Amino acid sequence: MDPVLAEIYKTVLGAAPYVLAAYTLLWLGLFGYVAFVMVRMTGLEKQIAVLEEAISRR
Amino acid sequence: MRVAEQGITQRKFLGLAGNTWTLLMLGVGAVLTTADFILAFYYTPIVFGAGVGGSKTIGGVIVSQQLLFSQKIFYFHVPVAIGSFLVFTFAAAYALLFLVRKDSKFDIRSRVGMEVTLLFVMLTLITGDIWTRFEWGVWWAFGEPRLTTYAIMSLLVIAYFVLRAAVSDDERRATYGAVFCIIAWIDAPISFMITRLIPTSIHPVVLRAGGGLTGLQLTAFLLGLFGMLFTSWAFYQLRLREEFAKERIDALKEALEG
Repeated sequence: MDPVLAEIYKTVLGAAPYVLAAYTLLWLGLFGYVAFVMVRMTGLEKQIAVLEEAISRR
Repeated sequence: MRVAEQGITQRKFLGLAGNTWTLLMLGVGAVLTTADFILAFYYTPIVFGAGVGGSKTIGGVIVSQQLLFSQKIFYFHVPVAIGSFLVFTFAAAYALLFLVRKDSKFDIRSRVGMEVTLLFVMLTLITGDIWTRFEWGVWWAFGEPRLTTYAIMSLLVIAYFVLRAAVSDDERRATYGAVFCIIAWIDAPISFMITRLIPTSIHPVVLRAGGGLTGLQLTAFLLGLFGMLFTSWAFYQLRLREEFAKERIDALKEALEG
């Protein structure tokens, strides 16, 4: 490869995994948080439904 | 403390399906941040770094400097960092409202805000650290003003939850938490401005008067910024709904026992 081109592109390939890792970890963090909250919310909704039914039966 | 919880427990619990706006904001946030990444990764021009011993024409442009691909981390690192500062500001504002009005709904809002702040602070540190590792060759640059003040901010946010966990009395926990939140928040504007105030700071300053963002770079950055703002607001609303649900459950249990 041309030495000038090699110098120009020197950091591009090396940096790509870092850019991808940063984006992946960011999305895992955001998605993980949403999933965590959604799962908890679903559980709470079920609990509310059970309790409301119990009250309405009384 | 006034029993403002009653206002919340009696609020109709809508559930996930009933939170159309929150889910819509979450969707918009996801779309915008994904568009930000695609635009940043594939289309925004790579910024130039150190000069090389010669020049070449690439795509009709004469290039005589290294191409800094790692700069593309900026397009989502900075938006998530700005998001952390803004959500922290909301949390501190609610903490102040709690101290003024002694209404527990403001304490709940402040605590939920701090939780979202913690998430965004952690994501900022992770993405920033990955960039630091590649560009500076170290995982952490001790003494760098931005990194130091931001690390202090993250520790203060963690300490906020430690403090809350250590106090058992509800009213004292809320009051101590609010005071600590406001004091901790003081570090946010300091951390934001520090790179502009201390000339020896080596942390890049991108947002400045006559800033260096043009065309696609600015578009990608704004997509990321609005994406993160929508996302952070949706997270805050989701967590708030969860708190409402918990209070609703407590109220229903009390009604059953009574």
